[in-house]
This record gives sequence, C-alpha cells and structure tokens, in this order.
Amino acid sequence: MAELAIRALGLTRAFETVRALDDLNLEVPAGSVFGFLGPNGAGKTTTIRLLLGLIEPTSGSAQVLGFDTRTQGADIRARTGALLEHSGLYERLSAEDNLRFYGRVAHMPKEQLNQRIQELLTHLGLWDRRKEAVVKWSRGMKQKLAIARPLLHRPGLVFLDEPTAGLDPVAAASLRDDLAALAARQGATIFLTTHNMAEAEKLCSLVAVIRQGKLLAVGSPADLRSRGGGQRTEITGRGFSDAMLAMLSQQAGVTQASVENGRLVLVLKDGAGVAPFISLIVREGGEVQEVRSGQGSLEDVFLTLMEEEK
Amino acid sequence: MTADFVTVLWKEWKEIAMERSAGSTGSYRPLILIAVFGILFPLRMGPERFFSAAGLLAPTFFSAIVITAVIADSFAGERERHTLETLLASRLSDRSILFGKIAACVAYGWLISISCIVAGAITVNVTNWHGQILMFHDAASWLLFLFGPPLLGGAIAAAGVLVSLHATTVRQAQQTLSIGFAVVFIGTIFGSSMLPKDWQAWFVRILVTWSQADLVLAAAGVLLVIDLALLAAGMARFQRARLVLD
Repeated sequence: MAELAIRALGLTRAFETVRALDDLNLEVPAGSVFGFLGPNGAGKTTTIRLLLGLIEPTSGSAQVLGFDTRTQGADIRARTGALLEHSGLYERLSAEDNLRFYGRVAHMPKEQLNQRIQELLTHLGLWDRRKEAVVKWSRGMKQKLAIARPLLHRPGLVFLDEPTAGLDPVAAASLRDDLAALAARQGATIFLTTHNMAEAEKLCSLVAVIRQGKLLAVGSPADLRSRGGGQRTEITGRGFSDAMLAMLSQQAGVTQASVENGRLVLVLKDGAGVAPFISLIVREGGEVQEVRSGQGSLEDVFLTLMEEEK
Repeated sequence: MTADFVTVLWKEWKEIAMERSAGSTGSYRPLILIAVFGILFPLRMGPERFFSAAGLLAPTFFSAIVITAVIADSFAGERERHTLETLLASRLSDRSILFGKIAACVAYGWLISISCIVAGAITVNVTNWHGQILMFHDAASWLLFLFGPPLLGGAIAAAGVLVSLHATTVRQAQQTLSIGFAVVFIGTIFGSSMLPKDWQAWFVRILVTWSQADLVLAAAGVLLVIDLALLAAGMARFQRARLVLD
C-alpha cells in the first residue's frame, strides 16, 4: 500500500447549525498531486484549515504526514507549506524579504535560504525584480511569488487553495506550467483546491469532488470521466434557441444542454443514445450539420455530480 | 522560541521601516515628532526644565501615541491585508508572534523617544553652550529616561493588541486606541480632583514627601503591573483557532 500523506476518517466540522465538512473520509498518497474540487462554500478551505490543525474538528480525526491534526498541529505546520485563500504576502516588503521571512520561520540555514530564494525566483522569472516592494507588482507576479513561498523550505506536503483564482487565462496557464514543473522537480505531495476543472485535469493525478461538505467522488481524472461524466455530444448547426435548450435540459437522458462557441453541447447520462435528441432538435426547427460524440470532460463529470446532489 | 521571536521582530521592523519610508504622510510623522519634541520644546524649556524628570514626560507620552498607530497596523493590519492566516499557518507559535510584534512596536516607540531626548539634549547644549556639556543630573530623570518609554509603551502596546484583535480595520483600531488613551490621560487629570478629600490629601502628602526617584519607581511599578495584566489578557485572546475564525 502506498504511503499516505493525508488520511481523514469521518472528519466533520460544524459551525453552529451549518456542517461545513460532513464525515470526510479521504486518503491522499504521498507524492501525488491531489485536486480537491468543489463550488464556493463547498468546504474546501475548512478542510485545509482542519488538516493544518488551525481549527479542531467537531468529530472524526485526520493524520497529516503521520501527525494528528488535533494534537500535533505545530508539527504539521512545520513540515507543510500553505498558500491559503489570500496570497499572504507582505506587500510593503520586497519579494526577497517576503521569502527570507518565511525561510527564517522555517529555520533554514542562511546559505541554503539564499540559494533557494535565487533558485525559485529565477525559475519564476522574478529574480531581477527581487528588491522591489511587492505592492508595485502585477497580480500574476504576486501570485507566482505566493506559490514560491510555501515551496521555499521544500516541505513534504503543500496546500494550495485556488492558486490561479482571479488571474487572467494567460497568467493562469503560465502559473500552472510553473506549478507543474516545480511539483515535478520537488516531488512533494500537493493538495490543490480549485473550481477550475481544466486546471485539475492538467495538474492532478487524483481528484475528489466535494459539495456542501460532503465528498461525492474520488479517483483519477480518467476514472471519474469514465465513471460519471456520461457522453458529451457536440452538434454543429443552426437554430439552437433558448427554448430548445430548456426543452432538452428537461429530457430524462440529458445532464446538461448548452451552447458553446455556436455549437450545441449535450452531456448525456450513461446509456442514453444521441439519436432521439437529434430527432427532437430537428422537429423543433433546429438544423443539424455535424454530430461529434466523445467522453465527457472532468467539468462534465463535476456538473453531473452537482446535478445529482441537488 | 527565541529564534522565532527574533524572526517576527525582524519582519515587523522591516514593515515599520518600509511603511515610514514609503513616501506616505506616515513617513514624516517621526521627523515631525523629533522636530517638535527634540527641538522646539527644548528651546522653549531651557536647560533647567529640559534636564529634569518633568521635561522627559512629553517625549515619553508622545512616543506612546506613536505606538498606538504602529500596534494597530501590526495586528489589525495583518487581518486587513489578509496576511494573518498565512502567518498562523506557519510553524510560528502564538507567543512568538505576539511577543515579537509587541516588542517591535515598543522598541520603535522607545527609539522615537530616545531620538527626541537626544535631539533635545543637543539643541539645549548648542543654544546654551558655556564650555561644559549639560546632562541629566538626578536619578529620577535617568530612571524615567530608561524605564518610562518601554513601560508606558508596553501598556499601550498590550492594550493595542486587545483593541486591534476586535477591530475590523487599522483605522478603527487606531481611532479606538487614540480615544482610549485620551480618555485615560484626561480622566487621570480631572478624575483626581473628584476623589474624596482625604484621598487627595494622601496623594499630595506622597507627592510632597517622596523623592522624585521614589515617585518614578512607584509609577514604574504600577505600570509594570498594568503591562503584565494586559499582556496576560492579550495572550489569552491571541489564539490560533479563534483568530482563524474571526
């Protein structure tokens, strides 16, 4: 059995009447990039806080790198790095001072710290601007630095809470590349929360889907696609009105109907054939020129799971 | 713990220095204080009054006012700028964060106070030069010079922790602290006249019969007790699990 970086057993956290996390059972193998997917308010941030020992669970338990989150939070925090909801950067300080501070917090020897700062900032293309106050930087540069911070002391486990949130697509893609390269070079376990499915699909070897504090599915992206994504059908043509979309959405075999880039996209439940829906579209006045079917993306799986849980 | 304390202190000093040198209005505040309390006041006071315990009260009090701004920025600012949770997610203990921040603020206030006094001593010596360096000459002055700013600053900083942890913004924390400081200061002056006559007589007797050094030591003792009480309250309040959920 693979060594586990994280193991949660019945982990639950309630805030007054709301259960932010409900009976989470989870195993994250060491060395994996684990994607924790869910919509806003699903319980992703609460899970990270619990795993870092920042808050106590209402019930259940969790072990992170072999340490109990209830009683050994300090040990966990010493061996992990975390990029939480906000970048956590001191904007009045320079990039170098931000990293130097957290390197000193991690008790890194001075020489090693200097080398590591240079290595990370060079890799991220920030070395030449290391002396500037971070407040003057663009959001993408700040986010790169924010990602460098938890990786600085080469922790065995890194928590990244929506690392590309709020970035433009180009900056997000660049950051994803950097993250993938850094993760591969460092060989650490990465626990990544996101609601960006493309990001999860690209970076993660394992993903879990959570909604309203409940775990809905766990597996590799390929597993999840084959398990629950259903069939994705793209129809090229004309006359795909809102009324037609609404009518299609109500059909028993359809999980989702939408228009993307002028094409009608149907996500069908497992076992549902596409032919009856083509007939329906034509009958309703739509013109079908081309039909392409394939397996659903991780996003389709995610949307299907969200639909099923409603 | 000591290494972590020093690390937090280093970071706080860097932040204070960067904020004060960033070209904002805040960057001129220490210079204005030093100009007022290190040059103008000493010029008006003359050597006799400046080199006395009473002459040291003004820079001591005004360095404490400086601390109200810095401590609010240090604690409420961490939350306002969304850096607190990341700090709490690190290996630093609650106490090293708390004490490192308080020490940095008190040290900054102390530095301002010493700068004002040194500037004042130079000003008075230059304007009253008779071939001999003038200096504080009594025990009370030296005691106040050494212990006044850190003890008063410590009380303000510890109170600032409690206020800042309840405030949602730096501005709110600074306003609450400034008002609180003014109320205590003015309340002490006017409140003493509302005390029972025999209490007032007891105080007057102490002021008349005790030496200035004894009075300074007694005030230092009272301030130390206040410092410790407020610090204990701050330690009870500054706890990870509470701060993360605030």
